[in-house]
Amino acid sequence: MTSPLPQVLLDGLFAGGTYALMAAGMALILGVVKVINLSHGAFFTLGAYVAYALAERGIVSPIAAAPIAAVIAFAFGVFLAKSFVNPVRNHPFALPVGTLACALLFEQAAQMAWGPHPLSIEAGAPWIGPGGLVIRRWGVIAFLSSAALLGGLKWLLSARPGLPLRLIAEDEEIAGSLGMDVEAIRYLTFGGACAMAAAAGALLSPSGAVTPTMGRAPLLLSLVVVIVAGMDSVAVIFLLSIGLGIFGNACAWFLSPQWSYVALLAAVCLLLSTRPAGIVVPAGRRD
Amino acid sequence: MRNAAAFRGGWPAAGIGLLLLFPLSSPDAFFLDVFTTGFLLAAFAASWDVVGGVSGQITLGHAFPFGVAAYACALLTSLAGWPLPLAVAAAVLLAAAVGAGIGALSAPLAGPFVALLTLALGEIAHEAAVGNTFFSGPGGYAWGGEGGIPVALPWRDASPFSSYYAALAFLCLASYGMLRFSRSGAGLILRAIAGSPITAQASGVPIARYKRLGFAVGSAFAGAAGAGFALHVGRATATDLSLELSFQAATFAAVGGRGTIVGPIVAALVLHVLFQGLSLPPSARVLLYALTLLVTLRFFPGGVVGTARDLASRPGGKEGARSPRRRGRNRSGEGTP
Repeated sequence: MTSPLPQVLLDGLFAGGTYALMAAGMALILGVVKVINLSHGAFFTLGAYVAYALAERGIVSPIAAAPIAAVIAFAFGVFLAKSFVNPVRNHPFALPVGTLACALLFEQAAQMAWGPHPLSIEAGAPWIGPGGLVIRRWGVIAFLSSAALLGGLKWLLSARPGLPLRLIAEDEEIAGSLGMDVEAIRYLTFGGACAMAAAAGALLSPSGAVTPTMGRAPLLLSLVVVIVAGMDSVAVIFLLSIGLGIFGNACAWFLSPQWSYVALLAAVCLLLSTRPAGIVVPAGRRD
Repeated sequence: MRNAAAFRGGWPAAGIGLLLLFPLSSPDAFFLDVFTTGFLLAAFAASWDVVGGVSGQITLGHAFPFGVAAYACALLTSLAGWPLPLAVAAAVLLAAAVGAGIGALSAPLAGPFVALLTLALGEIAHEAAVGNTFFSGPGGYAWGGEGGIPVALPWRDASPFSSYYAALAFLCLASYGMLRFSRSGAGLILRAIAGSPITAQASGVPIARYKRLGFAVGSAFAGAAGAGFALHVGRATATDLSLELSFQAATFAAVGGRGTIVGPIVAALVLHVLFQGLSLPPSARVLLYALTLLVTLRFFPGGVVGTARDLASRPGGKEGARSPRRRGRNRSGEGTP
């Protein structure tokens, strides 16, 4: 291979496109449930472990792993939202600390179940493209399915079935007075967003090591995306995630893997200290 | 303060007396060690409470000043060859400076964003500790990474009894200091800021400066606990900076009741001795901490101690235990005065 740059760009594109699925889930939770979900990374990890468990049993396919992971995560997400997030969502202490507790709970449970060492999934031989470019099959499938799902989400949010979501994001009281079951829509959205994170985790699992703490970097990436892009546009989230995916991959390739995590952390610090208002509130800007 | 009456009447004295007598029952060295670590963790939990409870700044990176002080202790004694007391003093000052820095960065932020920022800062420090290697000049050892850095101690093999009593003395001194601070004028102003930043600002309080002060004082005590921990273990390791440690402090404070200082100390001692005494594997312990925290947050939003006390004093409700700010709809009211 002459230069690693095309390879880094390509892998970053695939990874970033898949991260977008998770970031969009985070934005959805922020918009509809109006909380910052620090356990979002745990659902990503959950998806990766589901893919690993399936691969161990001989089912090595993203098409199978992502939906199964999504269903499991949806169930967990709905439970978490109903039992914890919804009751404490106005509490400024309970929410960040509690969702972090959920993330650590899952990390430790995964460590007890699968051990702390990194696991890997054998995803089969990649295609070799022009110029020695390695094109991983899972990467292509992950990117395409993520793009398709995000397209579906974009359609949903602009079409009639997505009206309750937009209305609740805009004004919960009006939504409630129109007879919408705000509580139910909140926990269903939470579950759906968790399913998106888990699907992203399952789709991305063969491209790196599966470890109990693997969800922390994608969590930060989602936070950066949501802080910068807000919740307005799925397309912006998608593009920004790809940018960050390429950036993170370049950091990992040219410096060392933990640098991409540090870069994301630094980005969060920098963004928060330059934008004290934090995440842009969508009220009055949507439509 | 509210909590003063509940803990007056000699209960702390009785507790300290029991803890003073405990080593005389000639317990296992293991239990002495569990208690020694427990005292240091309790001081750390109380220092979290200075920031997260009294000042109302929810920090998820409180291991940062703790670990910075532990590392400073180790590096200054082993690598730079400083005498131990000087190194400890420098470590505590450094932790206070780190705290002031975190406070300055997070002062303009509201609510969950403070938690996000402190979490990110703490993780950066953790990564830096894992990724850096230090070379000792004379011995030619490579230190750092997960293994950590040894502290050059002037004594050899401190007896478990002396460690126990030293840690207990430190806990008493530190908690006295923190209680004094939380009931001082500055502590009162910090509570006012935690209650309602807008009202505090309208009364002419320089909010940013007091937030920095709260962070600096809490971090200085966290640093003192971290230095003590490094002396006790004889090493500063990357786990001193871990997210799990920050989270543990928040757990103790949530269970014990935020803003009470004494509550987190009691919770830390009880939970640590309980979970450590059962000699569970570390991951099971963190799991139990997380479960305890979730149950507490869900059913006792004011902490077990705080909610019980409020129920006892006022059969009507548990409103007082909750942080009163930002109840109701959290976002839509932001733009309106």
